[in-house]
Amino acid sequence: MSMSDFMWGLMAGLAAVLVVGGIVKWRRRDMPLTVAEKAEYLSKRRARMLPALAVIFLSQQASFFSQMSEGGHVSAEKAKISAWLVLSALLLLGLATKGFWFEKKEVRDLIDDENTRANRSEAMRWGFLFAMGTAIAVYILTMFDTVTGREAVHMVMSFGIAAAILRWGFLERRAHRDA
Amino acid sequence: MPERLANKLKDRRTELGLTQAELAERVGVTRKTVNTVENGVFTPSATLAIKLAKALELSVEQLFWIER
Repeated sequence: MSMSDFMWGLMAGLAAVLVVGGIVKWRRRDMPLTVAEKAEYLSKRRARMLPALAVIFLSQQASFFSQMSEGGHVSAEKAKISAWLVLSALLLLGLATKGFWFEKKEVRDLIDDENTRANRSEAMRWGFLFAMGTAIAVYILTMFDTVTGREAVHMVMSFGIAAAILRWGFLERRAHRDA
Repeated sequence: MPERLANKLKDRRTELGLTQAELAERVGVTRKTVNTVENGVFTPSATLAIKLAKALELSVEQLFWIER
């Protein structure tokens, strides 16, 4: 993989993120909301977005692994690998921080309240366990087949992040559901 | 039989004529957190339990109890 292809992929991924962020901001331009209302609105939107993000992330993996089985990692499109890397890093950042980086501090603090922090921790626990489970599975797989270091990292990261995002999405949706 | 933290958050909140959003604003959390505590899905920290009890003008023991 040449460096320029890789950089183009990274830049395309980042550009896509900025475009989506811009559209979201533009759609909210005429909504005069209090801090609490805004936190509620964003929290609900996150609960809806997380399962969708997990599906996008997993479909990227399906595409990657189908190409890998056809001719090795090298044949997988460079742009797709870069996009995966950008999305993985963003999802990890979202999991590890309060998220909504472009919002005001008071909104971010309120969105990351006690229940959200508990849900996030639980999701991270699931992510860790799935990543370790995948690492064990990959280790066993290497006894029967050749697995490159990069493929192993890709699998461990993908399953770990996907499990964490799915769990977080489930917990957030359940939390918003009225009794 | 596992123990669980029961509460009368909803009854008391309704009694005082508060919505989940209003109570949430008083204690500095989102409506989602109040909702999960009310439903028994989430066990609040001691800090949040005290804040909720204060906002609902009850003691923590009156608001929460252990159910077996």
